[in-house]
Amino acid sequence: MSVSQSSVVLKNLTKSFGAVDVIKGVDLEIAPGEFCVFVGPSGCGKSTLLRLISGLEEATSGTIEIAGRDVTHAEPSERGIAMVFQSYALYPHLTVRENIGFGLSLAKRPKAEIAARVEAAAAVLQLGPYLDRKPKALSGGQRQRVAIGRAMVRDPNVFLLDEPLSNLDAALRAQMRIELTDLHKKLGATMIYVTHDQVEAMTMADKIVVLNAGQIEQVGSPMELYNAPVSPFVAGFIGSPKMNLVPNVMGCATYGIRPEHLDLSTSAGQWQGTIRHVERLGAEVILYLQTEAMGELVLRLPGQSAPPPGSIAYATPQPGRAFQF
Amino acid sequence: MTRRRSPYPYWFVLPAAVVFTVLFLVPTLASLWFSLTRWDLFTASFIGLDNYRQFFKEPFLVQGLVNTVIYAALTSVSKSVLGLLLAVLLTSGILWQSFLRAVIFFPVLVSTIGVGITFTALMHPTRGAINIGLAAIGIHGPAWLSNPELALYSVAFIDLWKGIGLATLIYIAGLAAISPDYYEAARIDGATRVQQFWRVTVPLVRPATVTVVTLSLIGGLRSFDIIWATTRGGPGFASDVLASVIYKQYQAGFYGLATAGNVILFALIALIILPLTWWFNKREIDL
Repeated sequence: MSVSQSSVVLKNLTKSFGAVDVIKGVDLEIAPGEFCVFVGPSGCGKSTLLRLISGLEEATSGTIEIAGRDVTHAEPSERGIAMVFQSYALYPHLTVRENIGFGLSLAKRPKAEIAARVEAAAAVLQLGPYLDRKPKALSGGQRQRVAIGRAMVRDPNVFLLDEPLSNLDAALRAQMRIELTDLHKKLGATMIYVTHDQVEAMTMADKIVVLNAGQIEQVGSPMELYNAPVSPFVAGFIGSPKMNLVPNVMGCATYGIRPEHLDLSTSAGQWQGTIRHVERLGAEVILYLQTEAMGELVLRLPGQSAPPPGSIAYATPQPGRAFQF
Repeated sequence: MTRRRSPYPYWFVLPAAVVFTVLFLVPTLASLWFSLTRWDLFTASFIGLDNYRQFFKEPFLVQGLVNTVIYAALTSVSKSVLGLLLAVLLTSGILWQSFLRAVIFFPVLVSTIGVGITFTALMHPTRGAINIGLAAIGIHGPAWLSNPELALYSVAFIDLWKGIGLATLIYIAGLAAISPDYYEAARIDGATRVQQFWRVTVPLVRPATVTVVTLSLIGGLRSFDIIWATTRGGPGFASDVLASVIYKQYQAGFYGLATAGNVILFALIALIILPLTWWFNKREIDL
């Protein structure tokens, strides 16, 4: 891959807080215009990695390149990045207009230029009617857009977004996922997005980076991670409900089969068990089967019908769908 | 359907209402009345606004009023500004931070009279430690408390020394309430340390500023003990404030005149604090 204008390259990056190694040697390349999602459980180092790229944390060792330039020791403001915080960090005493133009006014840009760039960002984000309001008078989704607007006017090479949707309710989150994806297409900018929510990762990313305990577990497109996870960790993290992972069976260390790749029968099948619980979601049924051989298996079945809890049933893996780690 | 209003809840208000009436409402109204009389503690004869006329005719009483405003403004502004700067310094992770916080707060715990006596000794023109120290570096120190030009400002300085710890403490709490995200967002936007102070800290620490300004202004307007312990309003009337003037009138037996002074002090505090509070609240922010 050629190093062109807005790629991010991390080389053997580490970060330690005292004796605690939080990032343990990360190598990563992000292509220009890519929507890259860092995903992993709490404490895996994904936010720290983002903060290293932003310059809010200093790397212990290794290098960070943005747009072909080594910025490992550069100030955050000199890296060509903009960041959207989980809390949005909107200044409560400033109007939407002043919040979006804050960085430009710090840089003492001419008033007319600030006004023009704020208006342009507001138009893209449909914030025009709210420019003279204070953040307090906005809804969660609108505040989110203001935070993005403040990032946009910096005209950055790379947008950094730290769990930007986690303060929103489920319905709004789904809507903002689509808005953010649209915005990414419209701006064509490189975006690095941190989340612990694998649904956000799957639905928005061009490239997912799965992090575990300060190291990259796997990098790939959403479907690559779904179809070919390299470890039980990735297999269990991507997909919902999570993959059934059973240790020390079928002649391997960990045997994995996704809930949607198990067929159910009341007469015969590979593993016999008792149905413990049934969740009907309308379009599908999530079924919990307590088996002798495999422990508890979760099955995802289309439709609405399922045998009642307490009855005996059989689960059979679809051919070629199982993983052996 | 509307429910009949039961008188029951009002019984719960009664104890507080009685205490408020006896300890605040009655004395306030009584002093309003006595300020309109010639009063010797046993008999009071109504003389209209004569006490107020006399108060504003006496030059030393008017000077006390002016001194009060100067003293309150000076101590309040200096406590707010220095308190904020100290709080920023003491939250910046400097060496011995906790120890220094304790040092700054210590004077708040000392008795005001004790502070007054100590500073009277320290500020003695010839034998005081301050002037001895200044003499050591070749400066001839002034008579801090007995020079009429200087006395009020020297006392204000002592008040600042004693009160700065509380202001700093309130500001430290206020700074702790500001999310670090605001500073990080500002850093990414390229804000220098100075810009961060003016564009983030000052506006966002506003609730603490309101508390510090209001408390120190009220404290300054009714200040008495530290002045009495150092200069007794002297030399002459140079450092007299309303409270010390009122006290002197009481001592001299002019109870009606002294009460009028109290009413003026009450009105002065209300006139300054009420609009200020209104203005502050209008611009209140949620962090």
